Amino acid sequence: MNRHTLPIVFLVVLAALAVGLRTAPLSSQGLTITAAAVEGALPVNAVDDPLWQRTTAVDVPLSAQMIAKPFWPTAKVKSIRVRGLHNGQDLALLLEWNDDTRNDASLRVDEFRDSVAVQFPLVAAQPFVCMGQQGGNVNIWHWKADWQAALVARRTLQAAHPNIYVDYYPFAEADDNLYAAAYADTTYLTAEAAGNLLAMPVHASPVEDLVAGGFGTLTSQPAAAQNVQGYGVWQNGVWRVIFSRGLRSNESDDIVLTPDQVYAVAFAAWDGANGERNGAKATSQWVSLQFGAAAAPTAPAAPEAPSAPAPMGLPLWAWIILGVLGLLILLGGLFALLLPDRT
Amino acid sequence: MPDVYNWQIGRTMAYPYPEAHPRRQFAAVFNINRCIGCQTCTGACKATWTFSRGQETMWWNNVETKPYGSYPQHWDVKALQLLDEAHQAAGVQPRWDRGQTGERAPYGVYNGLTLTEAADPNEVVLGYLPTDAEWRYPNFYEDTSTAYPGGPFGLSPDGAALPEHQAWFFYLMRVCNHCTYPACLAACPRKAIYKREEDGIVLIDQERCRGYRKCVEACPYKKTMYRGVTQVSEKCVACYPRVEGADPLTDGVPMEARCMAVCPGKIRLNGLVEIAEDGSWVEAPQHPLYYLVHIAQVALPLYPQFGTEPNIYYIPPRWAPRPYLRQMFGPGVDQAVERYTAPSRELLAVLQLFRTTQKMIFRFEIEEGPLVREVAVNGKTWQMYNDTVIGFDAKGREAVRLSVVEPLHERPPERPNSI
Repeated sequence: MNRHTLPIVFLVVLAALAVGLRTAPLSSQGLTITAAAVEGALPVNAVDDPLWQRTTAVDVPLSAQMIAKPFWPTAKVKSIRVRGLHNGQDLALLLEWNDDTRNDASLRVDEFRDSVAVQFPLVAAQPFVCMGQQGGNVNIWHWKADWQAALVARRTLQAAHPNIYVDYYPFAEADDNLYAAAYADTTYLTAEAAGNLLAMPVHASPVEDLVAGGFGTLTSQPAAAQNVQGYGVWQNGVWRVIFSRGLRSNESDDIVLTPDQVYAVAFAAWDGANGERNGAKATSQWVSLQFGAAAAPTAPAAPEAPSAPAPMGLPLWAWIILGVLGLLILLGGLFALLLPDRT
Repeated sequence: MPDVYNWQIGRTMAYPYPEAHPRRQFAAVFNINRCIGCQTCTGACKATWTFSRGQETMWWNNVETKPYGSYPQHWDVKALQLLDEAHQAAGVQPRWDRGQTGERAPYGVYNGLTLTEAADPNEVVLGYLPTDAEWRYPNFYEDTSTAYPGGPFGLSPDGAALPEHQAWFFYLMRVCNHCTYPACLAACPRKAIYKREEDGIVLIDQERCRGYRKCVEACPYKKTMYRGVTQVSEKCVACYPRVEGADPLTDGVPMEARCMAVCPGKIRLNGLVEIAEDGSWVEAPQHPLYYLVHIAQVALPLYPQFGTEPNIYYIPPRWAPRPYLRQMFGPGVDQAVERYTAPSRELLAVLQLFRTTQKMIFRFEIEEGPLVREVAVNGKTWQMYNDTVIGFDAKGREAVRLSVVEPLHERPPERPNSI
């Protein structure tokens, strides 16, 4: 090995280290959300409930998704303010973020909804923060503004297209309102017939419960396994959305939460007015979620951050050793560069 | 991005997935010269696939009047403009190098950028999302010609003389091109779009699609369409149950798509062509589509410069201005128009096969007949023979038999108008 090959070797080792870090990032922002313990029912449909004021809000910064195409450098949402509550049975998260426009429809081709998502790893460590990775699935809760609006009144074709006129729809059931007539045979609503959850005419919750294990693998859990509740309101340029679910779940694609443990959690938000959907979004890094002790239900959450969950595959001490090794290699490489050429 | 070979542009090009070709490819030839703009194809498709709620503005098949008509509005002008802007930004002068014409590059080599090559660094494909309003008027500018140059009342004594009419329009009939390198498939972030190995038909998985509309944005021909009612996108399915031979009418052999089989103008010929491992068409001089596309070369792809290698081929209208046609169908236009205007004996026979049976024709034979006509075309003598062409189905059975001269039946004088 001569002077010229050494720097290459050292670069390759550095690159390998960088790749390792990229697929298993540390809880880089060092943020911890503490779900304050309270007694009794959680305010799952009340964003103004005073219980939320007993929690410490954590501002989680978001950045543009630039890992998988389409990249989205113009992502609009810059941060989400997160609060958490639990009562030993259920968890509720309140997410707030700024958005000048309410976009709660996706009926027209050029309409995109506002939405927000919470992501948990389904493995003991932290898989890749963007949609997980092979062997490192993630559970995603995706709240949709249009699903929320549909719980009050489903947007109709007449609302989207005020001048619509259709003589009749073959195979639709008789109905006073042709545009809302049911189909006994869903063959003609192809995606619904194929079992696509998005195509279902009614959703019990505005939150979709999903699983993913890498880019392009996002999959709705079956209709019977949809068990995340949600509630969202938009007011004066701010969305406030509550997610809630029982801590425990028997489903293999659901995060199971135990109050004495610390979990990794990540967030993403989409601004429909900016055409944001799929990877066109703003995402956070992994942050930590811990549960406040039940003994002090009314106390504010402890500000002290616990140690972050270890990145996937390696304990923290191993990463420290790897870091020291990398530094040594870097120094060695620089030293080799300074040596006189003996060849 | 891996490089894939696109014979329509005569070179390799960037595409997000490596080459993997179907065994057979759904393809068709549309003869623009014969289209009467009756929209029977459009209606047949509508009545078969898109008559339900949420599909009101969805026309998998449409016929638009060129140069002004377009569905969705201005799709072609907008796609060309985007590509033009990308060329200007890259300092590239897109040209076709006709000097490099060869077996694997029948139209020469395209030196410009394709839609995957011209894409913004943040995107996979160069495209745009048509607005809601742009889908509303599928036949705007129907039958609208360009203006007559001069003359009182817009009339011109020589406005409609070949080789190029002074005032002109033509119909452009469009379905999904079931491209070899589909832009919709390239752009789908979750691989919900796939190209079938058995026939090259491109489909959107209705269970996996999440309605992101990246395909609607990417397809330059705008043949993937969003259905808000089910929150996912849909597209032309090439009547795949018919192509599979599932219709009892054809006794298990592949059948033409609905839009192809109903055509009163007899402008469409639909079939399956064998594809070699390298993506080229397996040489089959007796296959009518192979003959029209690769031997006679009268049928050309629509906007080959987009780089998707579309599989619907057009016989260009012989009266329209050549620069417009070259932009639309590439540099093979002049030869195609010339050959179509004075067709060879074999070409004239093959042209008879259009829309004469619902069964896809996999092979043809010609039985020679007598010379019946001799005229001058473009200053040269052109001879017409009353040959007979026979089409065979997938099982090698005779499906149709036609003569170049249509049989004439003269009714006796005592029954001039009997019904």
